[in-house]
Amino acid sequence: MARKTRVLLGKMGLDCHTIGVTVLAQALRDAGMEVIYSGLKQTADMIVRTAIQEDVDVVGISSLSGGHMRYLPEVVEGLRAAGAEDKLVICGGVIPERDAVKLKALGVDEVFTMGAETAHIARYINGKMDERPAA
Amino acid sequence: MPAGNASTRPDRAVDSQSGAALREQLARWQRDTLGPDLEAQGEWKGAYTSQSMRWPIKSLYTPVDLEDIGFDYLRDVGFPGEFPYTRATEPNGYRSRLWNMLQTTGFGTGEDSNKRWRYMLDQGLNGLIIEYDLPTTNGYDSDHPLAAGEVCRAGTAIDTLQDMEAALDLPFEKVEYLTSVCNAPQPINLAMIIAALENKGVDPHSLRLQMPNFILVEYTCVGRYIYPPKHGLRIATDVMEYSIRNYPNWVPISIVSAQLYAARANVVQELAFGFAMAIEYLDAILARGFEIDEVAPYFSFITGVDMDFFEAVAKLRAYRKIWARLMRDKYGARTEESLKLNLMGSPGTMSMALQQPLNNIARLGIQMLACAAANGGQAMNIPLHDEAHALPSDEAVAVGAAIQNIVAHETGVTNTTDPFAGSYFVETLTRQIENAVIEEMAKIESMGGALAAIERGYFQKELAREQIERNRAIENGEWKFIGVNYLQREEPEPQIDMFELESEAEQRQITNLRRVKAERDNAAVQEALARVRQVAATKENLMPCMLDAVRVQATHGELCDALRDVYGEYHPDSLTLGV
Repeated sequence: MARKTRVLLGKMGLDCHTIGVTVLAQALRDAGMEVIYSGLKQTADMIVRTAIQEDVDVVGISSLSGGHMRYLPEVVEGLRAAGAEDKLVICGGVIPERDAVKLKALGVDEVFTMGAETAHIARYINGKMDERPAA
Repeated sequence: MPAGNASTRPDRAVDSQSGAALREQLARWQRDTLGPDLEAQGEWKGAYTSQSMRWPIKSLYTPVDLEDIGFDYLRDVGFPGEFPYTRATEPNGYRSRLWNMLQTTGFGTGEDSNKRWRYMLDQGLNGLIIEYDLPTTNGYDSDHPLAAGEVCRAGTAIDTLQDMEAALDLPFEKVEYLTSVCNAPQPINLAMIIAALENKGVDPHSLRLQMPNFILVEYTCVGRYIYPPKHGLRIATDVMEYSIRNYPNWVPISIVSAQLYAARANVVQELAFGFAMAIEYLDAILARGFEIDEVAPYFSFITGVDMDFFEAVAKLRAYRKIWARLMRDKYGARTEESLKLNLMGSPGTMSMALQQPLNNIARLGIQMLACAAANGGQAMNIPLHDEAHALPSDEAVAVGAAIQNIVAHETGVTNTTDPFAGSYFVETLTRQIENAVIEEMAKIESMGGALAAIERGYFQKELAREQIERNRAIENGEWKFIGVNYLQREEPEPQIDMFELESEAEQRQITNLRRVKAERDNAAVQEALARVRQVAATKENLMPCMLDAVRVQATHGELCDALRDVYGEYHPDSLTLGV
């Protein structure tokens, strides 16, 4: 049986809006993935450490209070430094278009803004996992 | 009309309105009148349900429904100003006095907020709600690494007593109410407010300071907690005790069930979880040696009102009734002040859409109307129609104030008290909500109360379930949210102003903090912090040592750290969080 896709969902800094991450966690589980939730007040170091320890395929950061331009590049850089740049990095929340463009240029794989459907996010992840060479 | 026909005599007609005759008539109507119509046209929705409970709503309510629930006017409803206060807590409703009109706002440094508050007072508001930024509410100074980028963003930054003095540079002759929202670090925040008022020569008894002090909701759904729940409750109880003993006209506890509602609680959860938390606070403060009638009047409630008009009306009525019964029957309260629910109704930010923000003005008007029609409180707070876009505009502040006044002065709903009383539908829904809340409260009690329920993640998991359900209903179009999943329009990307204010305001704030730290007597600060740690480990009230500490310019973050040294930090696992 194929290994289930493992996803780490994280909240960073002092952003404590958790409804989006709660809803997405359930939707991804419904889509057959294993979801690990980081809890609040995470730093990039903590996210990278958990991502490696839990051997996840996907790191998803939820950002609703504007910390994305600070935290996402740190996560991408931290994963790269740890030799874990193969992990898919996505983020979602309140993210203006101009920032989404910058984040993608900095190595974030995809940015989902408010109103993105959970099924759409699940399809995106599954699509990316299918593109990967079999281990 | 033929004379002598007994069935048309008025007294006969009254008789036939209840009991078997009416049931027969209802069955006949369903068969002969409604039936053919359903046959011919059907209904345009698959199911008609209330918004949050998803309870089926019937196409018609009649006296039969009241008979089915055993409706008893005096027992269920009574008169305004009398037990069980279902109709209103005031004998003459809004005819004697309109509600206090409030608005939330706060951003930038103390001085920035101050400009906004002065503007709001000039718009005719007589109370203010102070919101702090995330570093402040999470117990960090502005120069803490976790604070970077968040300083002054979601509200005012307060690091030192000097910041509080700048924020409170207000025309106090216009300020009747001041609400300060700073749950986890409430004792430090309170100490700074008291010391700032003292330094300004403002008589603290001349205004009513309201502190939600509602740490239990932070563990449940808001997330701005610092210490483990039982220590959070102890700190909150210290604030209550100190405030009640020293500032008897202040309100040191608000059960902000509106936050549960914003986290997608349905109306039954909102009331049941809120009351269960109120019980936890009541038991904690009673253990400090008070009688119920000395403390119950301090409990105030803030509720959120959503778009389902009748669910909102019924909820507000049930809210008053359940509290009165809880006070009388569980706690043996005797005074009117204990039995009357002190309520602030508030249209909910949760029903504000980012898309087509002007639509929110219509939503706010409808929600305010429900609040006014069901005596939604002695005070009401209105969110701003563009607040989903971060910084509210001056225009939104003015429109918000106008909505409250339009409902109060133009609609006529305030002319009579509780105009929906006796409605077959509203009374049925009120009773349904009441019964379900009481059942849920019993369930929480059997778990050991609200604190135990929080520790085991019960509330968190229940809310997560509602959040998932609600999202599903929006995604599959079952629940239509105009502009969001229905009647969408191509719009320019909304302007989200989250990045403009920060750097300059943040720098200014950090510079001020460093200056204060450089100028103060550091030995005195260290001594004060040591004293706080010492008191925190005992059962002594924390407030006096907090006041001493803020007077020597110990910072907000330093004082929160002193308590972290004693209580530790709370890091619940994801199972407890329900994610």
